Amino acid sequence: MILTMSKVRLLGPRDRLDDVLRVLQDLGILHLAAPESAGALAPLELSPREARERRQLHRILEDLEHALAELRPPGPPASRGREAGRAGPAEFARWARLAGRVRREAERLAARAAALEEERALILKYRHFFSAFRALLESEARWPNAVAYHVLLRASEADALSKLRTSLRSAIGEEFQLYTQRLPTGEIGVLLVVSSRAAGRVERLLTEARVQEIPVPEQYGGKTLSEAIPRMLARLDELPREEAAVRRERERLAREHGPELVRARAAIHDRLRELEARQLAGATRHAFVLEGWVPRAACGTLRERIARELGDLVIVSELSEEEWESQDAPVVLSNPRLFRPFEALIRPFPLPRYGSIDPTPFVAVFFPAFFGIMVGDVGYGLVLAALALVVRWRSRPESLLRSAAEIAGACAVFTIVAGLLYGEFFGDLGRRWLGLRPLAFNREEALIPFLVLAVSLGLAHVLLGLLLAVASNLRRRPRHAVGSGVAAIMIVAIVFALLAAIEVLPSGFFTPAVIVLLVAFPLLIVAEGVVAPIELLSSVGNILSYARIMALGVASVMLAVVANRMVGALGSAAVGVLFALLFHLVNFGIALFSPTIHALRLHYVEFFGKFYSPGGVRYAPFGHWSRDAAPRPALR
Amino acid sequence: MEVFWIVLAAALAVGVPALATAWAQSRIGPAIAASMAEKPELSTTAILMIAIPETMVILGFVVALVILLQGGAAGG
Repeated sequence: MILTMSKVRLLGPRDRLDDVLRVLQDLGILHLAAPESAGALAPLELSPREARERRQLHRILEDLEHALAELRPPGPPASRGREAGRAGPAEFARWARLAGRVRREAERLAARAAALEEERALILKYRHFFSAFRALLESEARWPNAVAYHVLLRASEADALSKLRTSLRSAIGEEFQLYTQRLPTGEIGVLLVVSSRAAGRVERLLTEARVQEIPVPEQYGGKTLSEAIPRMLARLDELPREEAAVRRERERLAREHGPELVRARAAIHDRLRELEARQLAGATRHAFVLEGWVPRAACGTLRERIARELGDLVIVSELSEEEWESQDAPVVLSNPRLFRPFEALIRPFPLPRYGSIDPTPFVAVFFPAFFGIMVGDVGYGLVLAALALVVRWRSRPESLLRSAAEIAGACAVFTIVAGLLYGEFFGDLGRRWLGLRPLAFNREEALIPFLVLAVSLGLAHVLLGLLLAVASNLRRRPRHAVGSGVAAIMIVAIVFALLAAIEVLPSGFFTPAVIVLLVAFPLLIVAEGVVAPIELLSSVGNILSYARIMALGVASVMLAVVANRMVGALGSAAVGVLFALLFHLVNFGIALFSPTIHALRLHYVEFFGKFYSPGGVRYAPFGHWSRDAAPRPALR
Repeated sequence: MEVFWIVLAAALAVGVPALATAWAQSRIGPAIAASMAEKPELSTTAILMIAIPETMVILGFVVALVILLQGGAAGG
């Protein structure tokens, strides 16, 4: 459900605004909103000193973020550390110096680490080349009137070799030797030796062909590769020591300054929030006004805390509901513990508007029920329950994985219950081995009853959606509420008329149902406009769409039965059992994926489409930055 | 001969929508994968987009079953 909010106004002497903001930030429950300007009341602008302070804080924060990103201090990456406490100008100045210094140092270390990594890559590249042409390169120095060129070609450029050979032949005749070797990296090493007379022409040719020669690295001193490479190989042995030294230096920096930087970041964020909050205040020459929303249950806490810390100088008053627009109020979803994991299924949607309906409790009931009816197998249910328990045990509280595990647990319970109703344990294995009998019907044979069940569920679900639309729109859009109500009545009338027509219900129901339809139709047009009949038809289509519950259920049981029949069908019993297990595994995988997708779709399209009203403002109370990620037990 | 036509009708009822679903998903899949690469928050839309064409084959399957049951061809 959506928590009921109260809009409150705090009024006090202007010189106590900072104290009030401090108390509010510590309390962390008031979602601030700028009060409307009226008369002498105007929005409070930041003073030039405060504006300068804000700019400086942003600069320090940038240094801090860079330094922390480079250093990666101990603790989870997203950790915001503990609450920093209030900091003074002296501390901010110290942090500014520290952040700048650590950032420079961290960036220097990062650049050094990158350079070492690059050097290693370069040496390895030369090493491969050197290994390929070792014998030739070692005699390079002894070639009296020859010049050597070292070239690397990408694997995809292999055809360039024959072109190079042809071009060289036409340019300098036979005064060259071309050696090639494929390197372990996939590249092709090319060693070209030409007479010194022809060197100029060859260089021009290589430039024109855009073939880049491997340069002999200057830092290794040699004029030829054969001189440079031994030095490079020696350097390769030194690199791990230097890399370890850089790593140690980085760890030392993180150890020495990491906790201080994390604390500084939290304090700066807090101060920036305080400055932002000041701009949301209204002020006259002598007084200030702050307005915002708190959950109604927490209103007393706010009053009591303000009174305790600031006495009767600051007045907290609750505005009546007529004084504010419900669409401006922030939204807090608050559901019982059992339903809370299902909020994860609503999260991909924009928040519901304040005053509309939170679909979480309905999803918590219908989603696992639909899943269970589709999969409906005691064996699969038990495996899913075991899987859910393991994931729950391995996941962190309040994480998405924990929610997924708890949703899977609920789905497993419904799957087991439905499995008992269908008498299924790994398909027909329960019937054949354990004497399991269906308590409701056998899905392999009773296809029509299963289809009727699926469509009936659809009817109930879509009607519930329409009734929720009536409840949700009754106050804000009464016309739309009437339209939804009439649509619900017409759908019921259509169902009665159809059932009477095929003699499932007594034929006496037919005429009253048609009369209801004839009366309701113009009402629907008046309430919802000319598109209403199309909407009505689409609702009927929505109901039929629930037939997928039956289709997926039948597919699931048929695959399980086919898996069981493999045991006797493949000659060898052992091979049959193996294939049966594999097939069950595949079916279980499909049973996890497909029913989830389709149960979600039935909710998102067929159900939410009837009543869900997105566009809610997220509740973002003014508080400490480090507390943002933590749950707020007081609001639950 | 009558059984042949019933079975053929059922096969067409599920086969043609299956091809249509496959074609639709072959167009939607790459598009949604590309969108999600840039905007991972589109995962909900992706689920809906992938599941929407499946309605055709699912309803085709239901119709095929009804044809088989009404025609008395189910179970051989």
